[in-house]
Amino acid sequence: MSNSSILSVKNLSKTFTSGNKRLTVLKDITFSVEKGISCAIVGPSGSGKTTLLGLSAGLDKPTTGDVILNDQKISALKESELSVIRNEQIGFVFQSFQLIPTLTALENVMVPIELRGLAYKEVEEKAIELLDKVGLRNRITHYPTQLSGGEQQRVGLARAFIHKPDILFADEPTGNLDGDTGAQIEDLLFELNKEEGTTLIIVTHDRELAAKCNRIIELKNGAIISDTKPHVEETETIQANIAQ
Amino acid sequence: MKLLNELFSPSSWRLAWRDSKPQWRSLLLYTSSMIAGIAALVAILSFRSDVLLTVDDQSKELLGADLEMDSNQPYPEEAIAFIDSIGGSDANSIEFNSMVLFKKNGTTRLSQIRAIEGPFPIYGSIESEPADAADRYKEEKFALVEQSALNQYGVQVGDSIQIGNVTLEIGGGLISVPGEAAAFSLIGPRVYIPKSVVEDSGLLDRGSRVEYKQYFKIDSPEKVREIEEAFDPIGDKYRIRTESVEEEKEEFEEVVNNLSRFLGLIAFIAIMLGGLGVSSAVYVYIKRKSNTVATLRCLGITKEKILATFAIQISVMGLIGAVIGTGLGIFIQLYIPSLFEGLLPFEIVQSVSIPAVALGLMTGLLISLVFSLLPLVTISTISPLLTLRTVEFSPIKALSKRAKAISFSSTILILIAVVGLLTESFLVALGFTGGLIACVFLLWAMAAMLMFTIKKLRLKSFSYTVRQGMANLFRPNNQTSMLMITLGMGMLLIGTLYMSQDMLLQRIEFQTGEQMPDAVFYDIQIDQNEPFLEIVEENNAEVIQNVPLVSMRLASRKGVPVSEVRADTSLDISGWALSREYRVTYRDSLIDSETILEGEWIGEADGIGSVVPISIADQIDDDLQVEIGDTLGFNVQGVTVTTVVASIREVDFDRPQPNFFVLFPKGVLEEAPQFFASTIKTNSREQTIALQQEVTAQFPNISSIDISVALESVREFLDKMALAIQFMAFFSILTGFIVLASSIAISRKQRTRESVLLRTLGANKSQIGTIQTMEYALLGMLSGLTGLLLALLSSWALAYFYFELVFVPDFLTVSVLSILITLSAILIGWSGSRHIFNHSPLEILRLETG
Repeated sequence: MSNSSILSVKNLSKTFTSGNKRLTVLKDITFSVEKGISCAIVGPSGSGKTTLLGLSAGLDKPTTGDVILNDQKISALKESELSVIRNEQIGFVFQSFQLIPTLTALENVMVPIELRGLAYKEVEEKAIELLDKVGLRNRITHYPTQLSGGEQQRVGLARAFIHKPDILFADEPTGNLDGDTGAQIEDLLFELNKEEGTTLIIVTHDRELAAKCNRIIELKNGAIISDTKPHVEETETIQANIAQ
Repeated sequence: MKLLNELFSPSSWRLAWRDSKPQWRSLLLYTSSMIAGIAALVAILSFRSDVLLTVDDQSKELLGADLEMDSNQPYPEEAIAFIDSIGGSDANSIEFNSMVLFKKNGTTRLSQIRAIEGPFPIYGSIESEPADAADRYKEEKFALVEQSALNQYGVQVGDSIQIGNVTLEIGGGLISVPGEAAAFSLIGPRVYIPKSVVEDSGLLDRGSRVEYKQYFKIDSPEKVREIEEAFDPIGDKYRIRTESVEEEKEEFEEVVNNLSRFLGLIAFIAIMLGGLGVSSAVYVYIKRKSNTVATLRCLGITKEKILATFAIQISVMGLIGAVIGTGLGIFIQLYIPSLFEGLLPFEIVQSVSIPAVALGLMTGLLISLVFSLLPLVTISTISPLLTLRTVEFSPIKALSKRAKAISFSSTILILIAVVGLLTESFLVALGFTGGLIACVFLLWAMAAMLMFTIKKLRLKSFSYTVRQGMANLFRPNNQTSMLMITLGMGMLLIGTLYMSQDMLLQRIEFQTGEQMPDAVFYDIQIDQNEPFLEIVEENNAEVIQNVPLVSMRLASRKGVPVSEVRADTSLDISGWALSREYRVTYRDSLIDSETILEGEWIGEADGIGSVVPISIADQIDDDLQVEIGDTLGFNVQGVTVTTVVASIREVDFDRPQPNFFVLFPKGVLEEAPQFFASTIKTNSREQTIALQQEVTAQFPNISSIDISVALESVREFLDKMALAIQFMAFFSILTGFIVLASSIAISRKQRTRESVLLRTLGANKSQIGTIQTMEYALLGMLSGLTGLLLALLSSWALAYFYFELVFVPDFLTVSVLSILITLSAILIGWSGSRHIFNHSPLEILRLETG
C-alpha cells in the first residue's frame, strides 16, 4: 500500500451460502483509496456496493482477500479489535439516518465519543459546536421523532464527524431526502470532509452526487467495471497537501 | 351487522390465515400473557371440584357418624330418655382440654383429650402407629397420643402420660382421625383415651369447657332429619346441638366454596393483568400493521373485513393461549393439595373437571377478546392515505372519544359479567372489578411518577451505558408502563400479604409490650389459688393478672326471659349471645386493655340482691341489642342476678390474657362458685416450662398455655394460609414476567437494530451488554418498586387504621423482593436478547436497503 493510501482492498471476494446455494456477491476486487479524497461507489441494485462498503469498513469478513485500513489488515482482526477501529478511525452516515430514538439530538451526536468512556461534560461542548455547524443549535434537546428527515440527517452528519474519523463511509446519504434537502446535506458532507480532512467513501445511485467526488468506482455483478477520477487536479492537490 | 357478516365470511378467515402464517409465533406470544392466569384459575376450580367430589364420596367420615349430639353438660334425664327411645347411641365421647404430663422427661403440654366409648368413628378409622393400637386402646386402657407430639418431646410408645390424676401408658402414636385435618393438632396434641378412665378422675370438675358427644348410626338421611326434628325441643331446652352428615357436608362445602372463590379472585387478578398485557401487545401489533392495513384499504378491502380478520387472528390465538393455560392448570391442580397440607380432613381424589376446563377456556378466550377490543377498534382509524405518507401514526390518538368510551365501558361490563359468573355474585364482581381498576390506576400513577423521576435522573454524571440503559425504558412501543403495572400488581399483592401477616403477630407483641405474659394458667380452683401463687413466687415469676372467673348464662333481656326473646322472630338478636356461657370476672377498676365508650364504670355494687351495674364489651351491645340503662338477668349457677348496663367498653381481645364480654363490679360475685385464671411473666422459656411442670405436678387439673408455643401455632397456621394466597399471587408475578418476555420479543427488531447500530459506531459487546442489563435491571427494580411502594402504603394504612400499630416498614423483605424481581427481570431479559450478538454490524446497512 502506498503511503498516501488509507484504504486498500486486495483480491476481495464475498460469497453467501444459503442451504446448497452459493451466491458470489463480490469477485476479486482490488483498489486503493488515497487519504483525504472523496470516492463514490456506484452501480445498479445488486451490484455489491453495500457489501463492498461493509467489508471495507470492517462490518463483515470477506470470503477471500484482504482489507487494509490505515496500514492495518482489518480483515484479520477480531470483533473486539474491530469495534475499537470503528470507534476511533471510522465514521458512518446512513440512508435512514439511524438515530437512537430515545436520545436527544445532542446525545445522539455524543455517542461515538462517549463510547470511549469520556464524561458527558468533556464531549458536550464539541457536540454542540458540531450541531451549530450543521444548523441545529436550537434543536439540541429535540428527540429524533421531533425532527424532520433533513434535520435527522444533519444530526447523523454531526455524529459521523464528532470523533474526527480518518475515513467516513456514507451509504446513500441523501437517498431518503427530497432534492433541496439532499443538496444541503451533500454540501455539508463535502464541507465537513474538507474541513476535517476526512477520506469520504460514498455508496450512491445518484450520478450527480458521484460526480462531485474525486473518484468514482463503478460496480456491476460484483466486479469493478470502471474506476475514474473526474477531478484529477483537485485529487492531486489533496495528495500534495497530505504529502507535505 | 356488516362486521358480524365479515366475521363469519370464509374470505375473512382465509385472509386471517394468510396474514398470520408468517407470524403466528409472534401472535401467539401476544396472547400468551393470559396463560398463567388461566392456569391458576383452572387449577383452583379443578381443586374445588376435586374437594367437593371427595366430600361427596367420604361425607360420612367427616362426622364419623350419621348424627352427632353435642352438649356442654352431662345429658339430662329427658335427653337420655329420648336417646334410649331411638335405640340408644352407638358411641359417645367426652372432650376437653387438659395438661398432659409426659412422665419420661417431665414435660407438660396442654392437649385435646378425647375420651371415647364405643366404636367411634363409626365411619372410617383412626390411623395409628402401630396400626392396631387404634383398635386396642379402649380395651387395653392405654392412650393414643399425637405422633408429632411424641416426636417433639422425645417420648416413645410404652412410656406413660399423666392426665389429671390418671396415669396411662402410651399405646400408640396418633397419625390421623377421619374428618379431622392435621392442623387440629396446632391447638394442642390430640390424645385419645378410653372413656372409662376419665369418669372418676375428677378431671371433669372444671371451669373450662367440656363437651359431651353422642354418635349415632342411622340408615337414611330422612330418618336423621326426623330424629333431629323430634329432638329439637329438648335440644333447645338443654342447649344440646345436633349435627348431621348433610349439615356437616354443607358447612364444609361452604368453606371450600368461599375459599376457592377467594383464591379464584386472586387468580383472576393474574388473568386481568394478562388481559392488559394482551391489550398492549395487540395495540403494538396493530400499530406496526398500520401500513399493511392502509395498503389493504387501498386495494378496496373494507375496514369491517380488516377488523374481522384481526379479530379472528386474536380469537384463535386467544383460544390457543387458553388451551395452553388450561392444560397447565390441570397439571398445577396436582400440586394444589400440598398447599393445604394439614388443613384438609382427607386425601383428595383428583380428576379432570369438565366445568373447570370449560370455564377456563371460556374465560381465556373472552378476556383476550375483550381486552383486544379497544386496540382492534383503532383499525377503523387507519386511513388508506397512510400508504402515501411515512409518518409516525398513533391509532389510539386518532380514535374518537365516543369510540374510546364505548370500547372501554364494554370491556368493563364484560369483565364484571365474567367475574360475576365466577363468584356467583354480581355485587362482589362490581366491588372486585372496581377495586381492581382502582389498583391498576394507582399502579399506573406510581409507575408514571417513577418514570418521570428516572427521566429527570438521567444525570450527565452517569456513564453513557447507564444513561442509555435508562433511556431505553422510553423506547417507543416498549410497554414499560404496562410492565410496571403487571409486575407491580404481583409485588403489591405479595408485599401487602407478607407485611400484614407479620403485623397480625406483631400486634399481639407490640400492644402488650413489656407486659407480654409468657404463660396463661386457668382452671385454678378457689382453694388452689393461694398455693398456686406461692409456686409462682417461689419460681421467681411475676403475676401480671390473677382473676376470678364465674360462669353464668343470660336468663333475661330487658325483663323478658331468654326463651321468649329467642322465640320472638321480630327481634334480630344473635343466638350465640343469648345462649352462650359467659365467663365473668369482677373488680373495682378497669385495666389498660379496656376503654369506656359509653356510660360510666361503677366499681362497687350493693350485693347480689341489688340491681348490679355491669359493663359490657362493645360487640355485645349490638349482639343483644341493648343500650345503657337496659337490664340483663343472669343465671349464676342457679342464682338469678339482675344487672343494668352501666357502661359499654372497648376491649382489646387480641391480647393474650383473660378478656371479658361482661364485667361485674366488686361486692356481688365474691361468694359464687369460681375458678381463677392467671397470666404470668417469666424470665426465660426454661423458667416457663419449669413452672408449668411444677404446677401440673401439684395441681394436674390446672391447665396452662405457653404463649410462645401458642404464638408459634398461630404463626404456623398463618403461614399455611399465606402459602396458598402467595401461591396464587405468584401467578400475577408470572404474568408480569410473561408480559416482559412478550414485550422483549415484540421489540426484538428494534433492539437488534439499536445494538447493531451501536456496534457500528464502535461499541463493544461489554458496553452493549451493560446497556441491556441496565435496562432490564431498572425495569425489574422499578416494577418491584411500583408494587412495593404501594404495598408499603397499604400496609401503613392497615397498620394505622386497622391494627392501630406504629408501622415499622420491613425494609429487609422489600429489599429482598426487589432484588429477586430485578434479577428475574435481568434473567428473562437476557434470555430473550441473546440474539443481539448474533447479528453482524453489516445488517445495519442491509436494514437500510431492506
